[in-house]
Amino acid sequence: MQNPELAGHGYIASLDRVTKSYGNLRAITDITLGVRKGEIFGYIGPNGAGKTTTIKILVGLIKDYDGAMAIGSNGTASSRGRALGYLPQYAAFQEWRTVSQALTTFGKLSGMSTLSIKQRMSEVLELLGIPETKNRKIAQLSGGTIQKVGMAQAILHEPEFLVLDEPMAGLDPASRYQFKNVFRQLSREGTTILFSSHILSDVQDIASRIGIISRGRLMHAGTLDELKERLKIPKNIDVMLSKDSGRLKELERIKGVQSIERVEQGRYVVHLTSEADIDIAVDTLIRNLVDGGSKIRFINPVSLDLEDLYMRFVNQGEST
Amino acid sequence: MSLAILFMDELNGFYRSKVMLFLWAGLPVLAVFLYLMSPDTGSVPFSSFTAILVGSIGGVISAAMLAVGIINERERHVYDLFVIRPVKRRNIMLAKFLAVYVCIMIAGSIALLLGFGIDYLNSDLPLDEVVSLSLPGFIIIVAMMAISCSAGVLIGVFSPSVLVGVILVMYGANQLSAIVILPVLTASTDDYFPLLPGVAVTAALLFLAVLIFEKKQL
Repeated sequence: MQNPELAGHGYIASLDRVTKSYGNLRAITDITLGVRKGEIFGYIGPNGAGKTTTIKILVGLIKDYDGAMAIGSNGTASSRGRALGYLPQYAAFQEWRTVSQALTTFGKLSGMSTLSIKQRMSEVLELLGIPETKNRKIAQLSGGTIQKVGMAQAILHEPEFLVLDEPMAGLDPASRYQFKNVFRQLSREGTTILFSSHILSDVQDIASRIGIISRGRLMHAGTLDELKERLKIPKNIDVMLSKDSGRLKELERIKGVQSIERVEQGRYVVHLTSEADIDIAVDTLIRNLVDGGSKIRFINPVSLDLEDLYMRFVNQGEST
Repeated sequence: MSLAILFMDELNGFYRSKVMLFLWAGLPVLAVFLYLMSPDTGSVPFSSFTAILVGSIGGVISAAMLAVGIINERERHVYDLFVIRPVKRRNIMLAKFLAVYVCIMIAGSIALLLGFGIDYLNSDLPLDEVVSLSLPGFIIIVAMMAISCSAGVLIGVFSPSVLVGVILVMYGANQLSAIVILPVLTASTDDYFPLLPGVAVTAALLFLAVLIFEKKQL
Protein backbone atom coordinates (compact mmCIF):
# COMPACT_ATOMS: atom_id res chain seq x y z
CA MET A 1 0.00 0.00 0.00
CA GLN A 2 1.36 3.40 -0.99
CA ASN A 3 2.47 5.74 1.73
CA PRO A 4 -0.10 8.58 1.98
CA GLU A 5 2.81 11.05 2.15
CA LEU A 6 3.75 10.05 -1.40
CA ALA A 7 0.27 9.88 -2.92
CA GLY A 8 -0.88 12.12 -5.71
CA HIS A 9 2.15 14.29 -6.45
CA GLY A 10 3.41 12.74 -9.69
CA TYR A 11 6.76 11.78 -8.26
CA ILE A 12 9.45 10.67 -10.68
CA ALA A 13 11.36 9.04 -7.84
CA SER A 14 10.33 8.09 -4.38
CA LEU A 15 11.65 6.41 -1.30
CA ASP A 16 9.11 4.94 1.06
CA ARG A 17 10.24 4.33 4.65
CA VAL A 18 13.73 3.37 3.52
CA THR A 19 16.21 2.25 6.14
CA LYS A 20 19.77 1.12 5.51
CA SER A 21 22.38 -0.17 7.93
CA TYR A 22 26.02 -1.09 7.46
CA GLY A 23 26.53 -3.79 10.05
CA ASN A 24 25.53 -2.22 13.34
CA LEU A 25 25.73 1.28 11.94
CA ARG A 26 22.39 2.77 10.88
CA ALA A 27 23.08 5.03 7.89
CA ILE A 28 19.53 6.20 7.15
CA THR A 29 16.31 5.63 9.04
CA ASP A 30 12.78 5.61 7.68
CA ILE A 31 13.40 8.04 4.84
CA THR A 32 10.23 8.92 2.94
CA LEU A 33 10.95 11.25 0.09
CA GLY A 34 9.40 12.09 -3.26
CA VAL A 35 10.99 14.00 -6.11
CA ARG A 36 8.45 15.73 -8.31
CA LYS A 37 8.66 15.71 -12.07
CA GLY A 38 10.53 18.73 -13.42
CA GLU A 39 11.81 20.08 -10.13
CA ILE A 40 15.35 20.71 -8.89
CA PHE A 41 15.59 19.07 -5.50
CA GLY A 42 18.51 20.08 -3.28
CA TYR A 43 19.54 17.49 -0.72
CA ILE A 44 21.63 18.83 2.11
CA GLY A 45 23.05 17.58 5.37
CA PRO A 46 26.29 17.37 7.32
CA ASN A 47 29.03 14.84 6.55
CA GLY A 48 27.93 11.31 7.35
CA ALA A 49 24.26 12.31 7.53
CA GLY A 50 23.27 9.73 4.92
CA LYS A 51 23.07 11.77 1.71
CA THR A 52 25.26 9.48 -0.36
CA THR A 53 23.54 6.37 0.99
CA THR A 54 20.17 7.80 -0.04
CA ILE A 55 21.51 8.66 -3.48
CA LYS A 56 23.11 5.23 -3.94
CA ILE A 57 19.80 3.58 -3.11
CA LEU A 58 18.02 5.84 -5.60
CA VAL A 59 20.38 4.99 -8.45
CA GLY A 60 20.44 1.27 -7.63
CA LEU A 61 24.01 0.99 -6.34
CA ILE A 62 22.72 -0.21 -2.97
CA LYS A 63 20.17 -2.96 -3.28
CA ASP A 64 19.86 -4.38 0.22
CA TYR A 65 17.77 -1.97 2.26
CA ASP A 66 14.43 -1.98 4.00
CA GLY A 67 11.52 -0.07 2.52
CA ALA A 68 10.57 0.65 -1.07
CA MET A 69 12.01 2.71 -3.90
CA ALA A 70 10.51 3.61 -7.26
CA ILE A 71 12.13 5.50 -10.09
CA GLY A 72 11.30 6.55 -13.65
CA SER A 73 8.11 7.92 -15.11
CA ASN A 74 6.36 4.57 -14.87
CA GLY A 75 7.93 3.78 -11.54
CA THR A 76 9.49 0.50 -12.60
CA ALA A 77 13.05 -0.57 -11.99
CA SER A 78 13.36 -1.77 -15.60
CA SER A 79 12.92 1.75 -16.93
CA ARG A 80 15.69 3.02 -14.69
CA GLY A 81 18.61 2.57 -17.05
CA ARG A 82 17.34 4.90 -19.73
CA ALA A 83 15.54 7.25 -17.38
CA LEU A 84 18.45 7.85 -15.06
CA GLY A 85 21.59 9.93 -15.23
CA TYR A 86 24.05 9.80 -12.34
CA LEU A 87 27.13 11.74 -11.37
CA PRO A 88 29.00 10.51 -8.28
CA GLN A 89 30.92 12.86 -6.03
CA TYR A 90 34.16 11.99 -7.81
CA ALA A 91 33.51 10.66 -11.29
CA ALA A 92 36.06 7.94 -12.07
CA PHE A 93 36.89 6.43 -15.44
CA GLN A 94 39.32 3.81 -16.66
CA GLU A 95 42.52 5.73 -17.19
CA TRP A 96 43.30 4.50 -20.67
CA ARG A 97 40.15 6.04 -22.09
CA THR A 98 39.85 9.24 -24.02
CA VAL A 99 36.82 11.41 -23.30
CA SER A 100 35.31 10.36 -26.59
CA GLN A 101 35.81 6.64 -25.87
CA ALA A 102 34.26 6.96 -22.43
CA LEU A 103 31.21 8.82 -23.67
CA THR A 104 30.77 6.43 -26.60
CA THR A 105 30.81 3.40 -24.31
CA PHE A 106 28.40 4.92 -21.80
CA GLY A 107 26.15 6.09 -24.62
CA LYS A 108 26.04 2.61 -26.13
CA LEU A 109 25.38 1.02 -22.75
CA SER A 110 22.50 3.47 -22.29
CA GLY A 111 21.01 2.23 -25.55
CA MET A 112 21.99 5.13 -27.84
CA SER A 113 22.84 4.67 -31.51
CA THR A 114 26.35 5.52 -32.75
CA LEU A 115 24.98 8.45 -34.75
CA SER A 116 23.06 9.99 -31.86
CA ILE A 117 26.08 9.52 -29.57
CA LYS A 118 28.22 11.47 -32.01
CA GLN A 119 25.73 14.32 -32.23
CA ARG A 120 24.98 14.47 -28.52
CA MET A 121 28.65 14.24 -27.54
CA SER A 122 29.49 17.47 -29.35
CA GLU A 123 26.42 19.20 -27.89
CA VAL A 124 27.14 18.09 -24.35
CA LEU A 125 30.86 18.89 -24.41
CA GLU A 126 30.02 22.30 -25.84
CA LEU A 127 27.40 22.87 -23.14
CA LEU A 128 29.95 22.07 -20.44
CA GLY A 129 32.64 24.18 -22.07
CA ILE A 130 35.10 21.33 -22.74
CA PRO A 131 34.85 20.58 -26.49
CA GLU A 132 38.66 20.56 -26.79
CA THR A 133 38.97 17.56 -24.44
CA LYS A 134 37.15 15.18 -26.79
CA ASN A 135 40.24 13.30 -27.94
CA ARG A 136 42.29 13.71 -24.80
CA LYS A 137 43.01 10.92 -22.36
CA ILE A 138 41.00 11.24 -19.17
CA ALA A 139 44.12 10.55 -17.09
CA GLN A 140 45.61 13.81 -18.41
CA LEU A 141 42.66 15.98 -17.34
CA SER A 142 42.34 18.06 -14.17
CA GLY A 143 39.94 17.02 -11.39
CA GLY A 144 37.44 19.72 -12.33
CA THR A 145 37.47 18.73 -15.99
CA ILE A 146 37.02 15.05 -15.11
CA GLN A 147 33.98 16.09 -13.09
CA LYS A 148 32.67 17.84 -16.20
CA VAL A 149 33.25 14.67 -18.22
CA GLY A 150 31.31 12.89 -15.47
CA MET A 151 28.50 15.37 -15.96
CA ALA A 152 28.69 14.79 -19.72
CA GLN A 153 28.16 11.04 -19.33
CA ALA A 154 25.26 11.71 -16.96
CA ILE A 155 23.33 13.87 -19.42
CA LEU A 156 24.48 12.33 -22.71
CA HIS A 157 21.45 10.05 -23.06
CA GLU A 158 19.02 12.80 -22.06
CA PRO A 159 17.71 11.11 -18.93
CA GLU A 160 14.45 12.30 -17.43
CA PHE A 161 15.89 12.08 -13.92
CA LEU A 162 19.37 13.28 -13.04
CA VAL A 163 20.92 12.35 -9.69
CA LEU A 164 24.06 14.23 -8.72
CA ASP A 165 26.09 13.59 -5.58
CA GLU A 166 27.92 16.77 -4.59
CA PRO A 167 28.37 17.71 -8.25
CA MET A 168 30.03 21.04 -7.58
CA ALA A 169 32.27 20.05 -4.67
CA GLY A 170 35.57 20.13 -6.55
CA LEU A 171 34.81 22.94 -8.96
CA ASP A 172 36.14 26.48 -9.09
CA PRO A 173 33.61 29.34 -8.85
CA ALA A 174 33.39 29.82 -12.62
CA SER A 175 32.69 26.12 -13.18
CA ARG A 176 30.14 26.11 -10.36
CA TYR A 177 28.37 29.00 -12.02
CA GLN A 178 28.44 27.10 -15.30
CA PHE A 179 27.06 23.91 -13.69
CA LYS A 180 24.22 25.87 -12.10
CA ASN A 181 23.32 27.32 -15.48
CA VAL A 182 23.37 23.83 -16.97
CA PHE A 183 21.04 22.62 -14.22
CA ARG A 184 18.66 25.49 -14.89
CA GLN A 185 18.71 24.80 -18.63
CA LEU A 186 18.09 21.07 -18.14
CA SER A 187 15.27 21.84 -15.73
CA ARG A 188 13.66 24.18 -18.27
CA GLU A 189 13.89 21.35 -20.81
CA GLY A 190 11.99 19.06 -18.44
CA THR A 191 14.74 17.12 -16.68
CA THR A 192 14.13 16.40 -13.02
CA ILE A 193 17.25 16.92 -10.90
CA LEU A 194 18.17 15.77 -7.44
CA PHE A 195 21.52 16.96 -6.18
CA SER A 196 23.27 16.92 -2.85
CA SER A 197 25.56 19.70 -1.77
CA HIS A 198 27.45 21.20 1.10
CA ILE A 199 27.43 24.57 -0.58
CA LEU A 200 24.20 25.93 0.77
CA SER A 201 24.19 29.06 -1.37
CA ASP A 202 24.22 26.83 -4.46
CA VAL A 203 21.21 24.93 -3.17
CA GLN A 204 19.42 28.17 -2.36
CA ASP A 205 20.20 29.54 -5.84
CA ILE A 206 18.77 26.72 -7.90
CA ALA A 207 16.68 24.27 -5.88
CA SER A 208 12.93 24.55 -6.07
CA ARG A 209 12.57 22.24 -3.08
CA ILE A 210 15.06 21.10 -0.51
CA GLY A 211 15.52 18.10 1.73
CA ILE A 212 17.52 18.32 4.93
CA ILE A 213 18.95 15.12 6.34
CA SER A 214 20.64 14.88 9.71
CA ARG A 215 21.91 11.74 11.44
CA GLY A 216 20.20 9.54 8.87
CA ARG A 217 16.76 11.09 9.30
CA LEU A 218 15.02 13.38 6.86
CA MET A 219 14.30 16.48 8.90
CA HIS A 220 12.45 18.39 6.22
CA ALA A 221 11.43 18.18 2.58
CA GLY A 222 9.73 21.14 0.98
CA THR A 223 10.25 24.66 -0.28
CA LEU A 224 12.32 27.21 1.57
CA ASP A 225 9.15 29.09 2.52
CA GLU A 226 7.57 25.93 3.89
CA LEU A 227 10.73 25.41 5.88
CA LYS A 228 10.55 28.91 7.37
CA GLU A 229 6.89 28.42 8.14
CA ARG A 230 7.58 25.13 9.85
CA LEU A 231 10.35 26.55 11.96
CA LYS A 232 8.17 29.49 12.96
CA ILE A 233 10.88 31.92 12.04
CA PRO A 234 10.18 35.29 13.66
CA LYS A 235 9.20 37.94 11.12
CA ASN A 236 11.23 41.09 11.55
CA ILE A 237 11.71 44.29 9.56
CA ASP A 238 14.96 46.21 9.69
CA VAL A 239 14.38 49.97 9.47
CA MET A 240 17.09 52.65 9.09
CA LEU A 241 15.99 56.27 9.18
CA SER A 242 18.02 59.21 7.90
CA LYS A 243 15.68 61.57 9.75
CA ASP A 244 14.12 60.18 12.90
CA SER A 245 11.00 61.99 14.04
CA GLY A 246 11.22 59.98 17.27
CA ARG A 247 7.71 58.68 16.84
CA LEU A 248 8.47 55.18 15.59
CA LYS A 249 7.56 53.52 18.89
CA GLU A 250 4.04 54.86 18.34
CA LEU A 251 3.71 52.50 15.39
CA GLU A 252 3.41 49.51 17.74
CA ARG A 253 -0.34 50.03 17.47
CA ILE A 254 -0.27 49.04 13.76
CA LYS A 255 -1.97 45.73 13.12
CA GLY A 256 0.55 42.91 12.94
CA VAL A 257 3.33 44.76 14.80
CA GLN A 258 4.24 43.07 18.05
CA SER A 259 6.99 45.40 19.25
CA ILE A 260 9.61 47.84 18.01
CA GLU A 261 13.15 47.66 19.26
CA ARG A 262 15.67 50.50 18.89
CA VAL A 263 19.07 49.02 18.11
CA GLU A 264 21.04 52.22 17.51
CA GLN A 265 20.53 55.86 16.60
CA GLY A 266 17.97 55.89 13.76
CA ARG A 267 17.86 52.11 13.45
CA TYR A 268 15.02 49.88 14.59
CA VAL A 269 13.91 46.29 14.34
CA VAL A 270 10.17 45.88 14.00
CA HIS A 271 8.99 42.52 15.36
CA LEU A 272 5.80 41.25 13.73
CA THR A 273 3.26 38.79 15.05
CA SER A 274 3.35 35.31 13.49
CA GLU A 275 0.07 35.99 11.67
CA ALA A 276 1.25 39.27 10.13
CA ASP A 277 1.72 39.59 6.38
CA ILE A 278 5.19 41.01 5.96
CA ASP A 279 4.44 42.86 2.70
CA ILE A 280 1.41 44.63 4.14
CA ALA A 281 3.40 45.47 7.27
CA VAL A 282 6.23 47.05 5.25
CA ASP A 283 3.78 49.09 3.21
CA THR A 284 1.93 50.33 6.30
CA LEU A 285 5.19 51.17 8.06
CA ILE A 286 6.49 53.22 5.11
CA ARG A 287 3.29 55.23 4.88
CA ASN A 288 3.15 55.89 8.61
CA LEU A 289 6.82 56.83 8.84
CA VAL A 290 6.61 59.28 5.94
CA ASP A 291 3.35 60.76 7.26
CA GLY A 292 5.00 61.14 10.66
CA GLY A 293 7.88 63.19 9.20
CA SER A 294 10.62 60.56 9.18
CA LYS A 295 12.91 59.99 6.22
CA ILE A 296 13.71 56.38 5.40
CA ARG A 297 17.25 55.32 4.40
CA PHE A 298 16.23 51.70 4.01
CA ILE A 299 13.56 49.29 5.13
CA ASN A 300 14.19 45.62 4.73
CA PRO A 301 12.36 42.46 5.80
CA VAL A 302 14.86 40.30 7.68
CA SER A 303 14.92 36.83 6.17
CA LEU A 304 17.00 33.93 7.33
CA ASP A 305 18.92 32.30 4.54
CA LEU A 306 19.21 28.58 3.99
CA GLU A 307 22.38 28.43 6.06
CA ASP A 308 20.58 29.73 9.17
CA LEU A 309 17.65 27.39 8.60
CA TYR A 310 19.95 24.46 7.96
CA MET A 311 21.85 25.08 11.17
CA ARG A 312 18.61 25.18 13.12
CA PHE A 313 17.60 21.82 11.70
CA VAL A 314 20.99 20.24 12.21
CA ASN A 315 21.11 21.49 15.78
CA GLN A 316 17.59 20.22 16.27
CA GLY A 317 18.67 16.82 14.92
CA GLU A 318 21.63 16.69 17.26
CA SER A 319 19.57 17.56 20.31
CA THR A 320 17.03 14.76 19.66
CA MET B 1 24.35 -7.01 -26.03
CA SER B 2 26.10 -5.29 -23.16
CA LEU B 3 28.68 -8.13 -23.06
CA ALA B 4 29.64 -7.46 -26.69
CA ILE B 5 29.94 -3.70 -26.06
CA LEU B 6 31.96 -4.22 -22.90
CA PHE B 7 34.19 -6.85 -24.51
CA MET B 8 35.04 -4.62 -27.47
CA ASP B 9 35.58 -1.75 -25.07
CA GLU B 10 37.95 -3.70 -22.82
CA LEU B 11 39.75 -5.15 -25.82
CA ASN B 12 40.26 -1.62 -27.05
CA GLY B 13 41.84 -0.75 -23.72
CA PHE B 14 43.98 -3.84 -23.25
CA TYR B 15 45.43 -4.33 -26.68
CA ARG B 16 46.85 -0.82 -26.62
CA SER B 17 48.15 -0.98 -23.07
CA LYS B 18 51.90 -0.89 -22.52
CA VAL B 19 51.85 -4.21 -20.64
CA MET B 20 50.12 -5.92 -23.53
CA LEU B 21 52.51 -4.45 -26.08
CA PHE B 22 55.35 -5.71 -23.92
CA LEU B 23 53.82 -9.18 -23.81
CA TRP B 24 53.19 -9.32 -27.54
CA ALA B 25 56.82 -8.60 -28.17
CA GLY B 26 58.20 -9.96 -24.90
CA LEU B 27 56.83 -13.50 -24.94
CA PRO B 28 58.22 -14.35 -28.40
CA VAL B 29 61.56 -12.80 -27.42
CA LEU B 30 61.47 -14.90 -24.26
CA ALA B 31 60.89 -18.03 -26.37
CA VAL B 32 63.98 -17.28 -28.47
CA PHE B 33 65.97 -16.42 -25.35
CA LEU B 34 65.01 -19.74 -23.74
CA TYR B 35 66.15 -21.61 -26.82
CA LEU B 36 69.48 -19.83 -26.87
CA MET B 37 69.98 -20.53 -23.17
CA SER B 38 68.92 -24.13 -23.33
CA PRO B 39 68.86 -25.48 -26.88
CA ASP B 40 68.68 -29.12 -25.76
CA THR B 41 65.35 -29.98 -24.12
CA GLY B 42 65.84 -33.70 -24.32
CA SER B 43 62.81 -35.59 -25.52
CA VAL B 44 60.42 -32.71 -24.85
CA PRO B 45 59.65 -30.72 -28.02
CA PHE B 46 60.87 -27.16 -27.71
CA SER B 47 57.35 -25.90 -28.45
CA SER B 48 56.02 -27.71 -25.36
CA PHE B 49 58.89 -26.38 -23.26
CA THR B 50 58.13 -22.85 -24.53
CA ALA B 51 54.42 -23.33 -23.91
CA ILE B 52 54.88 -24.23 -20.25
CA LEU B 53 57.24 -21.34 -19.52
CA VAL B 54 55.35 -18.80 -21.58
CA GLY B 55 52.03 -20.03 -20.19
CA SER B 56 53.36 -19.63 -16.69
CA ILE B 57 54.98 -16.20 -17.12
CA GLY B 58 52.25 -14.82 -19.39
CA GLY B 59 49.63 -16.25 -17.07
CA VAL B 60 51.09 -14.54 -14.01
CA ILE B 61 51.35 -11.23 -15.82
CA SER B 62 47.80 -11.39 -17.18
CA ALA B 63 46.41 -12.48 -13.80
CA ALA B 64 48.26 -9.64 -12.09
CA MET B 65 47.06 -7.19 -14.73
CA LEU B 66 43.47 -8.27 -14.26
CA ALA B 67 43.57 -8.41 -10.47
CA VAL B 68 45.33 -5.06 -10.03
CA GLY B 69 43.10 -3.41 -12.66
CA ILE B 70 39.91 -4.65 -11.03
CA ILE B 71 41.02 -3.76 -7.49
CA ASN B 72 41.99 -0.24 -8.60
CA GLU B 73 38.76 0.25 -10.49
CA ARG B 74 36.75 -1.06 -7.56
CA GLU B 75 38.51 1.27 -5.14
CA ARG B 76 37.96 4.25 -7.42
CA HIS B 77 34.27 3.33 -7.96
CA VAL B 78 34.75 3.14 -11.71
CA TYR B 79 32.00 0.50 -11.96
CA ASP B 80 29.34 2.79 -10.49
CA LEU B 81 28.82 4.44 -13.87
CA PHE B 82 28.41 1.04 -15.54
CA VAL B 83 26.02 -0.65 -13.13
CA ILE B 84 23.56 2.25 -13.01
CA ARG B 85 22.97 1.51 -16.69
CA PRO B 86 21.16 -1.54 -18.05
CA VAL B 87 24.30 -3.65 -17.72
CA LYS B 88 24.50 -7.03 -16.04
CA ARG B 89 27.25 -6.95 -13.45
CA ARG B 90 28.56 -10.34 -14.52
CA ASN B 91 29.15 -9.01 -18.03
CA ILE B 92 31.61 -6.43 -16.71
CA MET B 93 33.84 -9.19 -15.30
CA LEU B 94 33.32 -11.60 -18.18
CA ALA B 95 34.25 -8.87 -20.67
CA LYS B 96 37.49 -8.22 -18.78
CA PHE B 97 38.33 -11.91 -18.69
CA LEU B 98 37.64 -12.40 -22.39
CA ALA B 99 39.54 -9.29 -23.48
CA VAL B 100 42.70 -10.14 -21.56
CA TYR B 101 42.43 -13.81 -22.48
CA VAL B 102 42.21 -13.02 -26.19
CA CYS B 103 45.16 -10.61 -25.97
CA ILE B 104 47.35 -12.94 -23.94
CA MET B 105 46.48 -15.88 -26.21
CA ILE B 106 47.66 -13.90 -29.21
CA ALA B 107 50.95 -13.19 -27.43
CA GLY B 108 51.28 -16.83 -26.34
CA SER B 109 50.46 -18.09 -29.82
CA ILE B 110 53.17 -15.92 -31.39
CA ALA B 111 55.69 -17.33 -28.91
CA LEU B 112 54.49 -20.86 -29.56
CA LEU B 113 54.75 -20.37 -33.29
CA LEU B 114 58.40 -19.51 -32.79
CA GLY B 115 58.87 -22.65 -30.71
CA PHE B 116 57.20 -24.61 -33.45
CA GLY B 117 59.52 -23.04 -36.05
CA ILE B 118 62.55 -23.95 -33.98
CA ASP B 119 61.30 -27.54 -33.62
CA TYR B 120 60.74 -27.76 -37.36
CA LEU B 121 64.16 -26.40 -38.23
CA ASN B 122 65.93 -28.65 -35.73
CA SER B 123 64.30 -31.92 -36.76
CA ASP B 124 64.04 -34.04 -39.85
CA LEU B 125 60.39 -34.72 -39.20
CA PRO B 126 57.73 -33.78 -41.75
CA LEU B 127 55.64 -30.69 -41.08
CA ASP B 128 52.45 -32.52 -40.02
CA GLU B 129 54.39 -34.49 -37.42
CA VAL B 130 55.98 -31.34 -35.98
CA VAL B 131 52.50 -29.81 -35.86
CA SER B 132 51.16 -32.77 -33.94
CA LEU B 133 54.17 -32.54 -31.59
CA SER B 134 53.41 -28.85 -30.99
CA LEU B 135 49.70 -29.42 -30.31
CA PRO B 136 50.15 -30.32 -26.61
CA GLY B 137 52.03 -27.05 -26.14
CA PHE B 138 49.17 -25.06 -27.60
CA ILE B 139 46.62 -26.92 -25.48
CA ILE B 140 48.71 -26.19 -22.39
CA ILE B 141 48.85 -22.48 -23.19
CA VAL B 142 45.07 -22.35 -23.81
CA ALA B 143 44.33 -24.02 -20.50
CA MET B 144 46.99 -22.29 -18.35
CA MET B 145 46.10 -18.82 -19.59
CA ALA B 146 42.39 -19.42 -19.02
CA ILE B 147 42.97 -20.48 -15.42
CA SER B 148 45.36 -17.59 -14.77
CA CYS B 149 43.00 -15.01 -16.22
CA SER B 150 39.97 -16.32 -14.34
CA ALA B 151 42.01 -16.45 -11.12
CA GLY B 152 43.04 -12.84 -11.78
CA VAL B 153 39.39 -11.84 -12.06
CA LEU B 154 38.45 -13.68 -8.87
CA ILE B 155 41.36 -12.20 -6.92
CA GLY B 156 40.51 -8.74 -8.26
CA VAL B 157 36.91 -9.07 -7.16
CA PHE B 158 37.53 -10.02 -3.56
CA SER B 159 41.01 -8.74 -2.64
CA PRO B 160 40.94 -5.88 -0.14
CA SER B 161 44.08 -4.24 -1.55
CA VAL B 162 46.49 -4.29 -4.48
CA LEU B 163 49.24 -5.76 -2.29
CA VAL B 164 47.10 -8.70 -1.19
CA GLY B 165 45.99 -9.14 -4.78
CA VAL B 166 49.53 -9.33 -6.12
CA ILE B 167 50.58 -11.80 -3.40
CA LEU B 168 47.60 -14.01 -4.18
CA VAL B 169 48.38 -13.89 -7.89
CA MET B 170 52.01 -14.85 -7.31
CA TYR B 171 51.27 -17.71 -4.93
CA GLY B 172 47.75 -18.69 -5.97
CA ALA B 173 47.02 -18.09 -9.63
CA ASN B 174 50.44 -19.26 -10.78
CA GLN B 175 50.31 -22.50 -8.80
CA LEU B 176 46.72 -23.16 -9.76
CA SER B 177 47.39 -22.82 -13.49
CA ALA B 178 50.03 -25.57 -13.20
CA ILE B 179 47.21 -28.03 -12.65
CA VAL B 180 46.90 -28.38 -16.43
CA ILE B 181 50.39 -29.80 -16.86
CA LEU B 182 49.81 -32.58 -14.34
CA PRO B 183 48.35 -34.93 -16.98
CA VAL B 184 51.39 -34.24 -19.15
CA LEU B 185 53.76 -34.98 -16.29
CA THR B 186 51.84 -38.13 -15.48
CA ALA B 187 52.40 -39.25 -19.07
CA SER B 188 48.80 -39.02 -20.19
CA THR B 189 48.61 -39.86 -23.84
CA ASP B 190 45.65 -37.64 -24.65
CA ASP B 191 46.88 -34.28 -26.06
CA TYR B 192 43.56 -32.62 -25.24
CA PHE B 193 43.46 -33.80 -21.63
CA PRO B 194 44.78 -30.50 -20.14
CA LEU B 195 41.64 -28.82 -21.51
CA LEU B 196 39.50 -30.71 -19.01
CA PRO B 197 41.02 -29.26 -15.80
CA GLY B 198 41.52 -25.99 -17.68
CA VAL B 199 37.85 -25.54 -18.55
CA ALA B 200 36.60 -26.90 -15.21
CA VAL B 201 38.82 -24.70 -13.05
CA THR B 202 38.25 -21.63 -15.23
CA ALA B 203 34.48 -22.06 -15.10
CA ALA B 204 34.53 -22.55 -11.34
CA LEU B 205 36.72 -19.50 -10.73
CA LEU B 206 34.67 -17.27 -13.03
CA PHE B 207 31.43 -18.47 -11.48
CA LEU B 208 32.75 -17.60 -8.04
CA ALA B 209 34.06 -14.21 -9.22
CA VAL B 210 30.74 -13.29 -10.81
CA LEU B 211 28.83 -14.45 -7.74
CA ILE B 212 30.93 -12.27 -5.45
CA PHE B 213 30.77 -9.27 -7.78
CA GLU B 214 26.98 -9.54 -8.08
CA LYS B 215 26.62 -9.46 -4.30
CA LYS B 216 29.32 -6.92 -3.60
CA GLN B 217 28.50 -3.44 -2.39
CA LEU B 218 30.21 -1.15 -4.87
